[in-house]
Amino acid sequence: MASKEKLFRTLVDQHQEMVVNTCYRFVFNREDAEDLAQDVFVEVFRSFEQFREEAKLSTWIYRIAVTKSLDHLRRLKRKKRFSSLKRVIGIGDPSEEIASPLHDNPADACTDSERASILQDALGTLPENQKTAFLLSKQDGYSNQEIADILKTSVSAVESLIHRAKKNLHDKLYAYYSEH
Amino acid sequence: MKQDTMMKQHNEKIEAEVSKTMNLLDEFVPLELHHQFRVRLMRRVESEIGLERGGQYFGIHFDYRLAFMALIFVINLASTLLSVQQGDESTTTISEVSFIQSDNYANQEFAYYDQTAFYENQAP
Repeated sequence: MASKEKLFRTLVDQHQEMVVNTCYRFVFNREDAEDLAQDVFVEVFRSFEQFREEAKLSTWIYRIAVTKSLDHLRRLKRKKRFSSLKRVIGIGDPSEEIASPLHDNPADACTDSERASILQDALGTLPENQKTAFLLSKQDGYSNQEIADILKTSVSAVESLIHRAKKNLHDKLYAYYSEH
Repeated sequence: MKQDTMMKQHNEKIEAEVSKTMNLLDEFVPLELHHQFRVRLMRRVESEIGLERGGQYFGIHFDYRLAFMALIFVINLASTLLSVQQGDESTTTISEVSFIQSDNYANQEFAYYDQTAFYENQAP
């Protein structure tokens, strides 16, 4: 048991930054990213015995991070739907509408927060595999091979997913800015 | 021609907005971890895994069928005790009645039952 804990501590040391930043890519929020990273490591500790060396340990950990992040986004989506329903009924809480800033500077925070919110909404409309491939490709440290391993697919499929995600995202943002 | 230029400018403006928004993903500054992250994580792991271990121990040793059997046993025991208690009470009542009866025969009115019969040649 002591050796397991020692190994776990080493794993946390090696992967904590990558895991937190992977989650951050998906959720755009520091607190949520750190909470999710904690969930990821708890899951890693819990199911450590179930890990089969078919994949690299790091790939397995990042796959858990991606899954947890996607779950979180799904929950947020449901919550958003529910709060908009509450708003329609007239029992909505206005504090739920306040976005958390990405910057310390209020002016930047306002512009970036709005832009980030638009981007997040557009990303939210993408199919999950496209979104995952695209977001991971934007993070340093993930090669297309590693993304393919995380998504359990081929490198060419990942390239195709990234390409389609970029195009879809561009089209959605273009449509948004044309209307607003 | 002027309309075309305006349209082109409008499209360029939209494209610029799109690029700016998409570039946000490239401008993400990697997060530096909160200094308490690791401490909080280890605390959480200890508490959650500790709870789980407790749960597992309980899960191994706690069988619903066993619990049901125990419940049945307790119910049986309780009902047996109750019936025994009630049985004791009824026994007491019967013994009391018999005592009262025997006591009644010991009364003065029934005293002759205690007396032995006299024969003709026997003086009273």
